[in-house]
Amino acid sequence: MVERPTYDEIEHTADVGVALSAPDLRSAFELAAASMFDLMFDLDSIGSSWRREIRVEGREGDLENLLIRWLAELLFIFETERVLLSTFAVARLEDGVVEALVVGEPYDAARHAVKVEIKAATYHELTIEETDGGWTVRVIFDT
Amino acid sequence: MTHYMHGMERRSECVWEIPRAGGMRVPGRIYADDKLMELIRKEKAVDQVANVAHLNGIVGASLAMPDIHWGYGFPIGGVAATDPAQGGVISPGGVGYDINCGVRLITTALEREEIEDRIPRLVKALFRDVPCGLGSHGAIGKLSKKELEEVAVGGSEWAVRKGFGTKADLDHTEEGGRLRMADPSKVGPRAIERGRDQVGTLGSGNHFIEIDVVDEIFDEATAAAFRLRKGGIVIQIHSGSRGFGYQVCDDYLEVMQGAVSKYGITLPDRQLACAPVETPEGQRYLAAMACAANYAWANRQVMMALAKRSFAKTLCASEQKLGLSLLYDVCHNIAKLETHEVDGRPTTLCVHRKGATRAFPAGHPDVPDSYRSVGQPVLVPGDMGTHSYVCVGTDAAMRETFGSTCHGAGRVLSRSKAKKAAAGRNLEQELSKMGVFVMATGKRTLAEEMPDAYKNVTDVVGVMERAGIARQVARLTPLGVIKG
Repeated sequence: MVERPTYDEIEHTADVGVALSAPDLRSAFELAAASMFDLMFDLDSIGSSWRREIRVEGREGDLENLLIRWLAELLFIFETERVLLSTFAVARLEDGVVEALVVGEPYDAARHAVKVEIKAATYHELTIEETDGGWTVRVIFDT
Repeated sequence: MTHYMHGMERRSECVWEIPRAGGMRVPGRIYADDKLMELIRKEKAVDQVANVAHLNGIVGASLAMPDIHWGYGFPIGGVAATDPAQGGVISPGGVGYDINCGVRLITTALEREEIEDRIPRLVKALFRDVPCGLGSHGAIGKLSKKELEEVAVGGSEWAVRKGFGTKADLDHTEEGGRLRMADPSKVGPRAIERGRDQVGTLGSGNHFIEIDVVDEIFDEATAAAFRLRKGGIVIQIHSGSRGFGYQVCDDYLEVMQGAVSKYGITLPDRQLACAPVETPEGQRYLAAMACAANYAWANRQVMMALAKRSFAKTLCASEQKLGLSLLYDVCHNIAKLETHEVDGRPTTLCVHRKGATRAFPAGHPDVPDSYRSVGQPVLVPGDMGTHSYVCVGTDAAMRETFGSTCHGAGRVLSRSKAKKAAAGRNLEQELSKMGVFVMATGKRTLAEEMPDAYKNVTDVVGVMERAGIARQVARLTPLGVIKG
């Protein structure tokens, strides 16, 4: 059983967004991914029978781009492999590269109740900021 | 109050202007009356209209239709035309992820009284026969890469060749259901992969198939030309280019991030990333976007065939006997090269319609022969509890809005607010009391799409009519709905 991630849902008329904070950048990336899947399904309904190590590349020195590419990669896995993801362990995050172990299980319509379809993570009002206590992220998804 | 709202000036009962300020190249213009403006003021859509006015080569004004609401980058309900000869840009964010999301309307020979008691059976049959919901797939089997490329090039023509519909359907589809600038070599492998098993599927969110009755006629002559009669049953299908289109948008936003720095473009929002139309990046996006637009037309064409079969089987009658026939298919997320008059001269412009519908007037060569004397049908779906409208394009739209008008009711509640408003309520039952039988894959979809989440479509259509940018022809009332 996966613990539900902690994040705030951003009020947006057409779409849906999340605001979150994490102690470091790696965990901010992990939490952004977890909250995206939690918006689509209840994260605690997703098991862990499927796992894969992935590598995502973005533009060097462009953190916003890297976050969008990371979330896009996870949506691509969901749609083409029909796998729901619940756990994200970022092993490396530097120079426009994310390497992570992602865990989940194949989508089963009988067990996994759909909350909302997310088409993409957008750059609109996207922020990734370092604060005194760690990092905050705001991202709006197209639904 | 947001930044640009301070300076907004009222030009007439239904037209508001955001004067040029800062980096805006043209003013913004919003179509709304007092009631709709009150809703618009509550969110950030006005700033988004102003942001779009910053785009290189934008012509006239950054426009917003009365169903405008806060989107990402462009507002939903936004129209922007740029002049490629003057460095005008094309922006994937001005089209959106669901490229050629659109709606088609099918007329029937059926009367309300004949099928009223069989609506639940019809809805259940549609729900069974048209794959819907998140990541829905498998309507016609998984296509090979080569077949998918044929879809991307052929659009509705491909679907008709494969036995999904007739040639007459092509005449009644915007652009004949096929943008000819499509080039699948400009589409990445990921879009191909996502698109292979989704042709003929509805998807989720605000997509739907709806059985309606025509309950009011405003313009008898035009309604007759559109084969609409009071009490007649019609079917609406609303969907787009599914994962294929989302991926094309995603891939080209990435390309445009690079183009923005390469061509020295400054933007107030990264989601507006763009490139001049006349650059390799601009041309590549146009060719790839056209593939996704064609995919969407093929998708709606296949779904229409599935829905027709579903009706025939359930009502034990042939499709011919039921008189199932496509009235028209419009896209509402698209960028197209069209000829419009600028300073008295016909000029090729790149018209972005993001949640807006083309609305060409009578006599325009792009309106099919059968409707040329009255004008292009404009389909305006409302929410599932009230009404939808069939309108027709006007000369004023051609002059003022690059031949564009609204695309729906427009959201007013955020999804989470809608969810809260729906808590503890049985929406299926509420809708059933209103005479609407609904089936949806998820309760949350139903909650988010409930009537309270939308503006009143009658108000929206009323503003278009008073502003002259579309004319009402007929009103539809839903009887049965399937939602993803």
